[in-house]
Amino acid sequence: MTSGAMVEYYSYVNIFETKGLAYLLLLSFLVMGVLLIRYLSGPGRKDAAPGKKDPTSSG
Amino acid sequence: MNTATAAIPSNEVVRFAKFLLQELKPRGKWLTPFNIISIPVILLGLVILYFRFTLGLGSVTNLSQQYPFGFWISFDVMTGVALAGGAYVICFVVYVLRLEKYHSILKVTILNGLLAYIFYSGALLLDLGRPWHIINPIIGNSFGYNSVLFLVAWHFLLYTGALFLEFSPTIAEWAHWERLRKFLSGLTLGTVIVGITLSMLHQSGIGAMFLMAKPKIHPLWYSEYIPLLYFVSSIFGGLAMVIFEGTISSKVFSSLIGQKTHHSHDDIILGLAKGAAITMFVYYFFLAFIFIHGEKWDLINTRWGCWYLVEVIGFVLIPCFMFAYGVRNRRFGVIRTAAIMTVLGVILNRQNMALIAFNWYVPNKYYPSWEEITVTLMVVFVEIWVFRWVVTRMSVFSKE
Repeated sequence: MTSGAMVEYYSYVNIFETKGLAYLLLLSFLVMGVLLIRYLSGPGRKDAAPGKKDPTSSG
Repeated sequence: MNTATAAIPSNEVVRFAKFLLQELKPRGKWLTPFNIISIPVILLGLVILYFRFTLGLGSVTNLSQQYPFGFWISFDVMTGVALAGGAYVICFVVYVLRLEKYHSILKVTILNGLLAYIFYSGALLLDLGRPWHIINPIIGNSFGYNSVLFLVAWHFLLYTGALFLEFSPTIAEWAHWERLRKFLSGLTLGTVIVGITLSMLHQSGIGAMFLMAKPKIHPLWYSEYIPLLYFVSSIFGGLAMVIFEGTISSKVFSSLIGQKTHHSHDDIILGLAKGAAITMFVYYFFLAFIFIHGEKWDLINTRWGCWYLVEVIGFVLIPCFMFAYGVRNRRFGVIRTAAIMTVLGVILNRQNMALIAFNWYVPNKYYPSWEEITVTLMVVFVEIWVFRWVVTRMSVFSKE
């Protein structure tokens, strides 16, 4: 090694400094958003027939 | 004789005056639990207001130079306006998205929005040291074009006018002014579009006012995105309020609601809860992004951090899941509980921003006086009285 030359160092990537966490959060938002919409659009409770309505229902 | 007098025959004026006097007479039982509680509070509130306007703010409030605004602003103006967001959301759903299913709750939601703006924005007059200066942004006496408050003042004024125009066909129908009703009905679509635009802008405008107070707000609550957060929270806050009010109205005013509307009520609740779940999910992720982007990790492990988590987890994330679970499984009790938690969450958020986490480093914290709380209760009760008077006389609920 000669003095004055640039030396390459390897260091651990700090996820808090690189905003990597923000990208992970964005990905999880997209995935969970799709899951939420699918959950809300699903068939729902099968026993929602008129005879077995939720007692708190007003209709 | 001028043109206005000529346009309205004198016998019509006499007829309307007689009709109004007849309508002003109370109907139904007087000694109801609500009346027994509300009448003394309203009377006491009026006495307090007498002292407020004769002796000044200091005689009845705990306001100071350090806390120039308090509970009347944080609860009435900030929270009341956010929870009135249901009016513009339902207008958007009915008139822009053309989802006719929600048409039956349109009038009552607009009425709720109109009364909320009249009473809660009107409560601003109580908190101003010199309330007559409220006209300044309108008449051009020191306009203050660069001020967010100038924007909010004009938006409040115009949006209250827009809500009144949206509701005016119902008033004309009640007064038997058929030609006027037809004319006002023709204005509805244009008014609604202007109303939605104004409402979106001023919901975020109220949040933008806090951008000027960066050093005073705890960093967990402060961000450059407060206007966006205020706008999104007004959507689910408004929807939750519509569910909450609709549930009470369907019980209290059951005889005024048509059979078909009663039956479709559950479907409407499910649709509103679905909308609330999605917007709360988006809002929660906005908060998470802001938290991570702002690198606020050090702040979370403090007492303020715990309080912040109570708001975000307890009153945003949990009700969001409850709404989703309630919609999926048609659990109306869960949906109503989630709606109450959401309304409390919006109240808590606005109190945190404007009172609790505002001047958070100051040793002598502000606490509202009993007079301030009484006057706030008075405003809420008077609004409910006016709401009850209107719905029992005008065709607000769908008769179908």
